[in-house]
Amino acid sequence: MNLRIETLAQATCVIPEGRLDFDAAPGFQETLERTLGGKPAALIIDGAALEYVSSAGLRAMLLAARAAQRAGVPFALCALQPAVREVFDLSGFSRIIAVHPDRATALAHAQPGRA
Amino acid sequence: MTTRRTAVPADPTQLTVLTEFLREFGSAAALAPAQVGTFELALEEIFLNIVMHGSEPGITPRVEVALNRGTDAVTMTIEDDGPQFDPLSLPPPDVTADLADRKVGGLGVFLVRKIMDTVSYARVAGRNQLHMSKRLDG
Repeated sequence: MNLRIETLAQATCVIPEGRLDFDAAPGFQETLERTLGGKPAALIIDGAALEYVSSAGLRAMLLAARAAQRAGVPFALCALQPAVREVFDLSGFSRIIAVHPDRATALAHAQPGRA
Repeated sequence: MTTRRTAVPADPTQLTVLTEFLREFGSAAALAPAQVGTFELALEEIFLNIVMHGSEPGITPRVEVALNRGTDAVTMTIEDDGPQFDPLSLPPPDVTADLADRKVGGLGVFLVRKIMDTVSYARVAGRNQLHMSKRLDG
């Protein structure tokens, strides 16, 4: 999996490309932790190029969402492909982590005080 | 009917081997990408479950995967010669827990039950056998 990071004024976007499986999850988690350590205004995971996620990837997202909540950093996902969205919905994660249809909507919601 | 079979040691480094194996089956069996993705997820979750629950010090179970595309369904059987372990006996995760209380344990098997039409476990001749199927029209 390839990871891109884009730093914008209102948020830092992490863009995982390809497969977020057991092999990729530790690197993904480390990147999210490092990004949160930089105290971004908000952290958004843009799933437009994310093709696959397993429970290992979900775990990394859950831990990051929790760390973001503790740090008071708005955290959201956006632009999930249908297969990834399905796994999110089935696992109940869409109820505890904000998921937006596209990045513009995610950025609009990424204001301090709104998770 | 398209059938494939392979065997690997229960070592996490083998996940990429299994993913490639599944993709080759998917193209040979002319499955849609979404169908291949469903089986990729089930295979990863069950394989890693065996890696985590089936290994004892100095012993690495051998995992066999068999795939079959019939006329109206795809079936996958995953067998291992590790200690008796029924993944379907795991309690389901509380998918309604809030962020702070949410646990991840058991989520993989839970997902497999959701994405497959049938999942069944048997202990056969000293081996764990998990059988899954999904209809092609589903």
